[in-house]
Amino acid sequence: MPDYNEFEILLAEDNPRDAEMTQRALRKINLINRVHWVKDGEAALHYLLREGEYADRPASSMPRLVLLDIKMPKLDGIEVLRRIKSDEALRHIPVVVMTSSNEESDVVDSYKLGVNSYIVKPVEFGAFVETVARAGLYWILTNRSPLS
Amino acid sequence: MPSRFGFRSVRSKLFAGVLLTSLSALLVAGVALLIVDLRGNHANQADDLGTQAEIIGRASAAALQFDDSKLAADNLGLLKAKPKIEAGAIYNARGGLFASYVKPDAAGELPALPATDGLQVSGETMEVYRRVIENGEILGTVYLRAHYDFYERLWRYLGIVLGVSVLALAVSVLMSFWLQATVTRPILDVTGVARRVVEDRDFTLRAKKTTGDEIGFLVDAFNDMLAEISRQTAALEASNRELANQIAERSETERALRESERRNRTLVNASSSVVWTTDRNLAFAAAQPAWQAYTGQGDEDSRGTGWRRAFDAADRSVLAGDWKVAQENKATFECELKLWHASSSAYRIVSLRAAPILDAQNEIVEWIGTVTDIHDRRQAEAEIARLNADLELRVARRTEELEATNRELESFSYSVSHDLRAPLRAIDGYSRMVEEDYGGRFDEEGRRMLKVVREEAVRMGRLIDDLLSFSKMSRKAMETTENVNMTALAKDVAQTLMRDREESGVRLDIWPLPSVRGDVALLRQVWINLLSNALKYSSTKPRPEILVTGETTDGVAVFRVQDNGVGFDMKYANKLFGVFQRLHKAEDFEGTGVGLAIVHRVIARHGGTIRADARPGEGATFHFTLPMGTADA
Repeated sequence: MPDYNEFEILLAEDNPRDAEMTQRALRKINLINRVHWVKDGEAALHYLLREGEYADRPASSMPRLVLLDIKMPKLDGIEVLRRIKSDEALRHIPVVVMTSSNEESDVVDSYKLGVNSYIVKPVEFGAFVETVARAGLYWILTNRSPLS
Repeated sequence: MPSRFGFRSVRSKLFAGVLLTSLSALLVAGVALLIVDLRGNHANQADDLGTQAEIIGRASAAALQFDDSKLAADNLGLLKAKPKIEAGAIYNARGGLFASYVKPDAAGELPALPATDGLQVSGETMEVYRRVIENGEILGTVYLRAHYDFYERLWRYLGIVLGVSVLALAVSVLMSFWLQATVTRPILDVTGVARRVVEDRDFTLRAKKTTGDEIGFLVDAFNDMLAEISRQTAALEASNRELANQIAERSETERALRESERRNRTLVNASSSVVWTTDRNLAFAAAQPAWQAYTGQGDEDSRGTGWRRAFDAADRSVLAGDWKVAQENKATFECELKLWHASSSAYRIVSLRAAPILDAQNEIVEWIGTVTDIHDRRQAEAEIARLNADLELRVARRTEELEATNRELESFSYSVSHDLRAPLRAIDGYSRMVEEDYGGRFDEEGRRMLKVVREEAVRMGRLIDDLLSFSKMSRKAMETTENVNMTALAKDVAQTLMRDREESGVRLDIWPLPSVRGDVALLRQVWINLLSNALKYSSTKPRPEILVTGETTDGVAVFRVQDNGVGFDMKYANKLFGVFQRLHKAEDFEGTGVGLAIVHRVIARHGGTIRADARPGEGATFHFTLPMGTADA
């Protein structure tokens, strides 16, 4: 049995309130210690590609799950998703796209690009926690990465 | 009325004429008589008085000679026979009063001394003095005073003149009546007839002749004139009728002429080809009248190959080239060229067709061909092409604009859905965190307030979601299905909605419904909203009943959704289909007020209408129409 705490989750979210609530949700299922939070799409890509400020991140610490907000400054979530899914080294990482609304074009784009899960952040906090936690747990537990 | 005034004027003129004539004649005659008479009377009286004085003088000469005053007084006493003489006196040669006589009732003094011989008139008194002379010796003077009746006479005469004038006036009036009867009335009769003729245009009327004088002549002349007018009017009318007939005839002729002209023109247009023939070298061998008429070329200009100069210079080589090929193949040829058109002084597009005539040896003998003016057709085609291109351009531009608007709307609702929800999420989330982490420090009221904050945030989230789905319903492209089975659709929706209410005792009946032409996904929204509304607003009744019926009327599918719920007051019916409009309190029935707005929008997009009937406490019925499906048509 692997130790869950070893898994890294990359959270790309520009809204600090949403980020805090997401982290709180993940903390409830004991995943908080492994979450790394970046505030825009560019930082997310830098982290994953170990570029820029993340150039010295060890290659072994590849995240096991990416939680991606769609609307972000610089690069939006859809673009980050496209880059992840077109990169040989990254495409296997499960990506959960989180969005404020179920605008159909976002859903369609995300699935076309090979998103693993698509969740709409509910306004109601209880539902929010449950949704985020379920998605996080599901992908951490059931999608075993070939690198693990 | 001038005419009436005129008649009256004639009558009064006659009357005034008669009167003036009589009066002036009387006046002149009266005055003349008066003057003559008064003068005569004066002379007579003076003469008379003189004679009296003379007689008394003679008779009293002896008395004076013999100083016999008694005799003289007797002589004077004779004057009693003359009542006009008021007083008389005889003076002696020395001027002393010798004898006197005074009429008993007369007054007045006798003069103290005699005056010289003569006559004096003063007022109504005439006095005369006369010397008594005997053998050349003055014996004395006779004085006589008489009453002079000048004024009496004058008044009497004036009275007579006045009386005669009144009489004359009466006679004048009678005369004028007579004149009126004999002169004016026939004239009035003629005038009356004239007026009736003018008013009625009846020229058969005649004035009655009553006299044989000038008026009778006038009546005759008038009647003759009427007869003449009548004759001429009849002639004029006959002439008018004839003219009208002629005009009608002529317009008929003109119409026939125009018709014939139009037919001819159509015929000419239909065969507006110029027919021509050439020798084997495509040269005019003989005069070509039709060609010359079209191009304006003369006989000499067109002879030989000269006719080809009537084509636009750029097109001549086309003709030559096509002809060469046709000549080799001994085949017909056809080409479009620009030919000079003399009447319009411009080149016009024509279609030239030519066919070779072959002899027994299969050699070309001559060419026969036509030139057809297709200029107008080509121009019209070009115009149509231009218009079409223009239209396409405009449609494309409009489509582009609409697409841009749609994109803008989409990006707007995208922003709304993202940016408005995030703060709400934070409000709810942080309230929840406060509740989780610090809930113990709040009393019950504090926790209740926190709960309200969260509930309101969630409600606003729902409002945003509903607004977005409403806007999506409006923007969504319609995917029309010819026959949407409304019975199945309504039942499917009802089943889903009833799943949560199995134990609620609701009775929901859906009768067979007509099929419609429309978008299934949008129509599903109509049923979801109408049926869930019916369920929601009848949920407070002990036995909720919902009935769905439908039929086709005049090619339109009509539906009814009826419930026995709380209903609403019809005075708010106009608000029913607005976005976020609610007729019930949020505490009683939850909802955002978007459902019926969506229903209204969807039905409107299908070209249908929706309305509601309701009464508070007695339920509501929604009637809506949609285009009928082809299966039920």
